[in-house]
Amino acid sequence: MDHFADQARLQEGIGEDGKMPLHWAAFFRSYARLGSEEIAGRNEDLTRLLRENGVTYNIYGDPNGLNRPWKLDMIPFLISNEEWPVMEAGLLQRARLLNLILEDIYGEGRLVRSGILPFELLYNHPGFLRQCSGIPLPGRQHLVMYSADLARSREGKIWVVSDRTQAPSGSGYALENRTAMTRVVPELFEGQNVRHLSPYFNALRDGLNNLAPRQRTMPRPGGGAPRIVILTPGSSNETYFEHAYLSSYLGFTLVQGNDLIVKDSYVWLKTMGGLERVDVILRRVDDIYCDPLELKADSQLGVPGLLQAVRSGHVSIANPIGSGVLENPGMMPFLQPMARYLLSEDLLIPTIATWWCGQPKEMNYVLNLLSTLVIKKIARNPAGSSSIDGAALSHAQLQQLKAQIIAHPALYVGQEKVDISSTPSLINGKMESRKVLFRSFLVSSGDGYVAMSGGLCRTSSEPGNFIISNQSGGISKDAWILSPEPDRILAPLKETPDRGAAAEEDMLPSHAAENLFWVGRYTERVLGNARFLRTVMQFLAEGNKGMTESNRLTERSLLVALTQYTYTYPGFTGPGSDAAFANPWAELKEVLLNEKRAGSLKFNFLQFQRAIHEVREHWSTDTWRVLRTMEEELAQDIPLSHQGHLRMLHTLDNLITFIVAFIGLNRESISREQGWIVLDIGRKIEQSLLLLTMLKTTLVNRSSDQVEYSLRQSVLMSHESLVNYRYKYRRPIDNRLVLDFLLFDPNNPRSLTYHLQRLRVHLKQLPNDQAGYGLTEYERLILEADTLLKLSDKDSLAAVKDDEAKYGFLDDLLTRMYGLLVAIPAVISKTYFKHEVPHFPSDDLYVL
Amino acid sequence: MKYLISHQTTYTYYEPVSVCYNVLRLVPRNTDRQLCTSVSVTIHPEPDSLQEYEDFFGNKVIYFSIEKEHARLSVKVFSEIEKRAVAAREIGLYGNATIESVKRQLMDNPQEVGDIGQYIFETPMTAWNEEIAAYARASLRPGLPVLEAAGDLMRRIFSDFRFTPGFTAVSTPLETVMRERKGVCQDFAHLAIACCRSVGLPARYVSGYIETLSPPGVEKLIGVDASHAWFSVYIPHLGWVDFDPTNNLLPAEQHITIGWGRDYADIAPMRGVLLSSGTHGLSVAVDVRRVK
Repeated sequence: MDHFADQARLQEGIGEDGKMPLHWAAFFRSYARLGSEEIAGRNEDLTRLLRENGVTYNIYGDPNGLNRPWKLDMIPFLISNEEWPVMEAGLLQRARLLNLILEDIYGEGRLVRSGILPFELLYNHPGFLRQCSGIPLPGRQHLVMYSADLARSREGKIWVVSDRTQAPSGSGYALENRTAMTRVVPELFEGQNVRHLSPYFNALRDGLNNLAPRQRTMPRPGGGAPRIVILTPGSSNETYFEHAYLSSYLGFTLVQGNDLIVKDSYVWLKTMGGLERVDVILRRVDDIYCDPLELKADSQLGVPGLLQAVRSGHVSIANPIGSGVLENPGMMPFLQPMARYLLSEDLLIPTIATWWCGQPKEMNYVLNLLSTLVIKKIARNPAGSSSIDGAALSHAQLQQLKAQIIAHPALYVGQEKVDISSTPSLINGKMESRKVLFRSFLVSSGDGYVAMSGGLCRTSSEPGNFIISNQSGGISKDAWILSPEPDRILAPLKETPDRGAAAEEDMLPSHAAENLFWVGRYTERVLGNARFLRTVMQFLAEGNKGMTESNRLTERSLLVALTQYTYTYPGFTGPGSDAAFANPWAELKEVLLNEKRAGSLKFNFLQFQRAIHEVREHWSTDTWRVLRTMEEELAQDIPLSHQGHLRMLHTLDNLITFIVAFIGLNRESISREQGWIVLDIGRKIEQSLLLLTMLKTTLVNRSSDQVEYSLRQSVLMSHESLVNYRYKYRRPIDNRLVLDFLLFDPNNPRSLTYHLQRLRVHLKQLPNDQAGYGLTEYERLILEADTLLKLSDKDSLAAVKDDEAKYGFLDDLLTRMYGLLVAIPAVISKTYFKHEVPHFPSDDLYVL
Repeated sequence: MKYLISHQTTYTYYEPVSVCYNVLRLVPRNTDRQLCTSVSVTIHPEPDSLQEYEDFFGNKVIYFSIEKEHARLSVKVFSEIEKRAVAAREIGLYGNATIESVKRQLMDNPQEVGDIGQYIFETPMTAWNEEIAAYARASLRPGLPVLEAAGDLMRRIFSDFRFTPGFTAVSTPLETVMRERKGVCQDFAHLAIACCRSVGLPARYVSGYIETLSPPGVEKLIGVDASHAWFSVYIPHLGWVDFDPTNNLLPAEQHITIGWGRDYADIAPMRGVLLSSGTHGLSVAVDVRRVK
């Protein structure tokens, strides 16, 4: 206990009398009770849980930054029962104020005309979108969501450091942090009365529902609840995890810009079953990217015509497009006068002292004290941090910055460097002190706002560091707001996402369908390649002992077939193949682990992973665990020794087990039946194509009976069918019977006939406009393939004349079948996934 | 004086287009010098959605979308304009306002600057460098009446720059125009605007038409006219004063205004997004005809 008290004495929250406040003391009692060994163990569990849940944060511009694991510090940030009401009132007031400012800026414009808000601050700000002026918005508040970053000074005073009003991020991470904490360290919550986060999310859900346009000229078919979607820029966005997480938690469909289309000035979602109307869009796309027609012309993230749909009152967007205008540190010095003007109130929470250089006196002050201030531009730089710490600049850099400020004074502010207080943090198993920022979340509700009773805390990566951002590698914390009595609203368990909340009758968005289709294809591609690679490696590992001529020939044929099967040319083919044959393990290792080699297992695995991330809201926690293990399996480097050969085989064994587990999980994991069907269609198509390729590369060419026998055995092995074959036929591995087993047997789940049957059943379940009008294009292709197969004469397929170099009938059948089946994906894509690429005319009306 | 204006835009697509969205700014607005007495807009194929509104600057905007496959899009705008004679301005009283006095008067009047302030700052299309700022200083000298200084700027652009269709595109930066001393009406208007703003004067971009006259005895051909652009400078009490640097003219009877903005991007005649994989061809025919 004393140990912790000593540690904490240096931190924040210590009263002037040097005593630890009661709420910290209570926390450290529970903490101490766990004991340091247990804490170390739980800390590992926490990290593992977050990794397994796939909680990530992407870093732009960093090749290794995609899907970086989220870091959570087990020691929360405590806000006492006395402190919170003051903070909350201040936050609610600020939300009301910003809402009125937003309304005024895009409405009457009184603030600028009366001179309270300097016009330079508004007109120079790229977030002021004149296209949005005068657009009436439904709902009582225009600013639906609001976030503020708060800091505590060493004296315990609360300051607002910055405002987020476009598409505030972090609420999903806050929820995930809390969920992880309650699971891993429930003891810490004991006797603490920590307030719950769920009221905020309930208010968010209600608020968005209430935003749905009321006066509908076109009633929603069947009445029904409003359709709400979350618009994400896509899987490489820094907070994509959160978009998918909130989508599952709130039950709103996750969409990208090209999933939506404007028709008749309404917004529609492209689904497998056609277009479905959208009423409310919760957007995570920045203002200017939302509509290429009226805003940023080359944006690929938005929806052309979206602003007109808003203007027509047919769709509501939260936050409204244009709300980024409030993210302007230059406004901070004017908030107090604006609060007086609009609310007749004084600001309850002060803003960090800010000097806007658009005024001569303030500019001179900033220029004189440049090295002691933080300098910001009035517009946020979307590519990274827009804060410059004056103290970190050299003399030359200071002069340069001065010149920039003098050239465009209205674009700069100087901000006081508040001495942010530190908070106890568990860093690498040791308690240290870190500076902390608290992000709060508010959502409009009724006449006012609701603040989350909690939030997201981020701490600096190094003890003294002033700048805190996720981009530069900070660590997050749960924020506990303590209540005098137990929170009665909802039990913490309620805070786990309720998966599959999306309405059952909703059709799958086309974009999600396409990715699930590709997940299916890559699943089988990875599995097929892994099995064949394992078969080849096993043959090499055993065959080395007594190298007969036929063994040598079989080995060569298998290696060539592997190159052809995996499309990893030149590999064991072509003029340079002698070197590869001389040292086959080097090439095999490449085919397994070299991610830069197109066609390699690792390469296909990464494609598989990418497709999975594109639809990340569809997977269960168990699926993430399996994926994580596969990733680790393929991340190791393996030496080219005998030991290494065995390790590669071992890796393949594990990989095959995990992929099979993944397939098994799909059925129950994917939240919607349609999603599973599409995934399985992808699998069946890939399995069919792989089987045809395998047979073509191994069984078509003539060789000695001994070699042909060994190759047939390998084919059966790499389809895990050797045992089944023996059980069924109880005969040596005969050419005719192998083909019968792999092509024609309707009961063998690895035969082509079986795959075609499944495909036909699945495709029938997809939405179909042409029901009753004969066959669809893909049905025709399958029927043709099926007929071709049925009409084939099994004896001819297995027969060959002595003077022929290959099995001609078999070759012909395999080629024709492949031609038919390979055409199916394009047809499916055209019917269900089709996304046109917007093309922008240049209106070069340059004359006279 | 009355004009009939026909403005026809035709897009020909090499691949069929399934959906297109467009924003038109081709309907002339009313000003103190002109009245738009009638206008008709004909779009083919017929739009599935069409709406009209006034934008932030008060310009008339038409939004339309075509949601069926089409290979060609034609937009015809016919408008009838009555030019009004304007009483002689009280130039004597305010015409001598210098750059400094204009800036001072604006700063002292937040109500006025609240609107005019739009036009003081750099935009991507009117970004200036030191060369442009130096060019501006030669005309917009301290102590000189703004009217005279802006007139001098117009005259210098007219004589220093060569009118060269095809040399620039919408995306050509102003510094290229400045360096090469070539361009078309949009470039000259943007250059003049950048010059004015570089010394702190409010200036805006005007989109419109100009009547071209054929030599006596030769009948004017239909469709040879074009859309035009010029700039306008704000002087308190006097209002906006237009200058045409392409023709070295103070726009009067022969200039017809469509609308204005901070630069071309605010008042582009037609902006569109279409869903297609192919490219397209564009033709524009404008005819400005005096009726009486």
